[in-house]
Amino acid sequence: MSYPQIPADFGFSEEHEVLRQTARRFLEERCPISQVRRLAESPHGHDAALWKEIAQLGWLGLVLPEAHGGAGLGQLHLALLLEETGRRLLPSPVFAALLAGFALEAAGSAAQRARLEPALASGDLVATFALCDTRGGWEAPEIEASAEASGGGFALRGIKPFVIAGAEAGLVIAPFRERSGELALFAVDLPTAGVRVESEIGVDPTRRSARLVFEGARVSAESRLESSGAAALQRVHVRGFAALAAEMVGGAESTLAMTRDYAIARKQFDRQIGAFQAVKHPIVDMMIGVELARTHMLAAAAALDHAPDSAEVPARMAKAVASEVYPAAVRKAVQFHGGYGFTWDCDAHFYFKRALWSRAMLGDGAHHRRFLASELFGHARG
Amino acid sequence: MNELAQEVEPNEIAQFRREARAWMQANKPKDPGFKLPQSFLEVESDRQFDFLRDWQRKVFEAGYLGLDWPAEYGGKGDPLKRQRVVSQELARARAPFLVNVIGLQWAGPTILHYGTDAQKKRYLKPILSAEEIWCQGFSEPGAGSDLASATTRAERTPEGWRVTGHKVWTTLAHKSKWMILLARTDPNAGKYQGLSYFLFPMDAPGVNVQPLIKMTGEGGFNQVIFEQAPMGREALLGQEGQGWQVAMTTLLFERGAAEGSGGGQATSSAESVQRVAALAQRARRGRSSAAEDPVLRDRAAGLWIEEEALRLASLRARIPGLNLDRPQALRLMNKLVYSEFNQRLSELACEMLGPESTLWLGDPHAVDRAEWPRAYMNSFGMTIGGGTSEIQRNILGERVLGLPKSK
Repeated sequence: MSYPQIPADFGFSEEHEVLRQTARRFLEERCPISQVRRLAESPHGHDAALWKEIAQLGWLGLVLPEAHGGAGLGQLHLALLLEETGRRLLPSPVFAALLAGFALEAAGSAAQRARLEPALASGDLVATFALCDTRGGWEAPEIEASAEASGGGFALRGIKPFVIAGAEAGLVIAPFRERSGELALFAVDLPTAGVRVESEIGVDPTRRSARLVFEGARVSAESRLESSGAAALQRVHVRGFAALAAEMVGGAESTLAMTRDYAIARKQFDRQIGAFQAVKHPIVDMMIGVELARTHMLAAAAALDHAPDSAEVPARMAKAVASEVYPAAVRKAVQFHGGYGFTWDCDAHFYFKRALWSRAMLGDGAHHRRFLASELFGHARG
Repeated sequence: MNELAQEVEPNEIAQFRREARAWMQANKPKDPGFKLPQSFLEVESDRQFDFLRDWQRKVFEAGYLGLDWPAEYGGKGDPLKRQRVVSQELARARAPFLVNVIGLQWAGPTILHYGTDAQKKRYLKPILSAEEIWCQGFSEPGAGSDLASATTRAERTPEGWRVTGHKVWTTLAHKSKWMILLARTDPNAGKYQGLSYFLFPMDAPGVNVQPLIKMTGEGGFNQVIFEQAPMGREALLGQEGQGWQVAMTTLLFERGAAEGSGGGQATSSAESVQRVAALAQRARRGRSSAAEDPVLRDRAAGLWIEEEALRLASLRARIPGLNLDRPQALRLMNKLVYSEFNQRLSELACEMLGPESTLWLGDPHAVDRAEWPRAYMNSFGMTIGGGTSEIQRNILGERVLGLPKSK
């Protein structure tokens, strides 16, 4: 497998630019860091009024079909939007809803999509996707939660931890293993008898999560997404790598900007600290990393738009590099803000926490490089 | 994997690429049976030089050089895109590099930018045909990273100027007809204002070229000592006192931060991660190979990510809407990122080879004629030349990020 062909202009158009500007202006106004701080300390971690406005802007249905209330746009649109939400640490289940949309697109029948997607796009339904399984595994072979046929429907068992917005969601889509050994994706309404929802206390207060315990929950046959299977899960993941990488690039960009500004404003030894090469050069390396990650995340989005069947290498590269660059940026951001950087008052820690979350989810750099090495070395034993 | 041309191209360009590719395949010179230099930094013998000069002439005569330069100066007036295609195909074919690198990529574009019509008519075509080779006289023993402190003097004479001073790292000076020369014309003006930029004739009296030996033991690298060496008025490029500005333009071309080159490539290697991965399969570790070492695999995958990023960044750099935060960043960081990538890649190759990486040129058992340790050492030419990595970081910090000067 190699890097696929993408258009020389990445498929970028005026239309993309309009979306980005709209998103940037809206978030500047509605999601300043003061709002992020307020929501971080609130019980649910997000704002229902903001959610409605976001739905009205069409973000929730951005890549859903127009026939189902979506905008029918592509992954590059989504990437540019998520770069903006990542910059602002938008505390909202938008990312969860997008993952759920990926799952419906990958596995839902026409009827299932027609039933669920309009509610997703309108924001009437807060949907999420359970990435992780009982023991922290998340790729297809690691899914242990089970689905047993039972009375014309299914009984679901297993633990799904770290579910974004799991406590707020009205619908969760999650993979379960059927008796045949095959994977199936189920769309389960919440709350449901037999599913215990335990809010988690997360490191990142801007992205809430819950642990869903399926204790033989009975679900209907229709809740099994029709074209399920490992391939569908794989498609959700590939789009997820690209989407999360975009958010991470946005966060890394803000981290860089904050650190640069501080290096200009802060004086010690009668000089701006950014004049010291021990500070300046690592900030330049942050910028190089951010640009490297941005190139990859844009290219991964372009690959998903123009060569979707061979987008795995680009998407994994994007997530791998973002998973190195964002954590490295927040490390330097805290360090270069000095004693202030170590306080709650300094905004750096919010980015620091989001970076830790983002690296851990959907595979870190080492994980994706292991896959890429197999491609590069032609599957020589590693 | 790692095809150099993976953008979806308009038909006309794709067709041109097919023609260029076929031509390279059919005309690429065969291994001459003697050691070839890896880059323009180590052209030592006459036979190496003649071989490389013949190759450049052949490429030029086939119509693959100076494509975007105006036709009246020996070019073809084509879109820049075509020249890029040729450079990509030369690298893809692993063809020998084009020996007049300094003329094609640095002096030529600078002359196009600042030269008078007469200068363009005089100098450009022989650059393309390799009839006249160029070297660069910027650095001095006391002026490396701090280039503007150059002290080589150009003193006025009734006919022009007379040069006295000492230039170093003058690659190809021993084969050159011309030098792009940065010299001080006004010692009383400020550090930056007192410099002028000249097109200096290397066959002038009072010029002494002495070889410098690189860490690989190879020559091709020189120092040049000037004692009252004369040049005419027509040697001045741009205005008197404008030398720093003109030199900075040359450096933009040299660092790949600006496009406009006559074409070609600076090395023949175009090392790719894919080649290094193939090397790893050959690099023995008892009963296994380096390709099975998980740590080396991880690093190779990381370099593959960087290699693709460099390729993709060259596309992205041409899309203004995808560079809004820092419009100049990708171009200005290109030299730094590429040279450091290349250094890490050649070092990884040596590590993969393990004990076999210790054999040097001339040893019958040296893997690939010691290409890998030689490439690793030569990679420092790029992280130091044209502004060190440290200077590049200052430039990026100050110009792109607006950080305060480090004085």
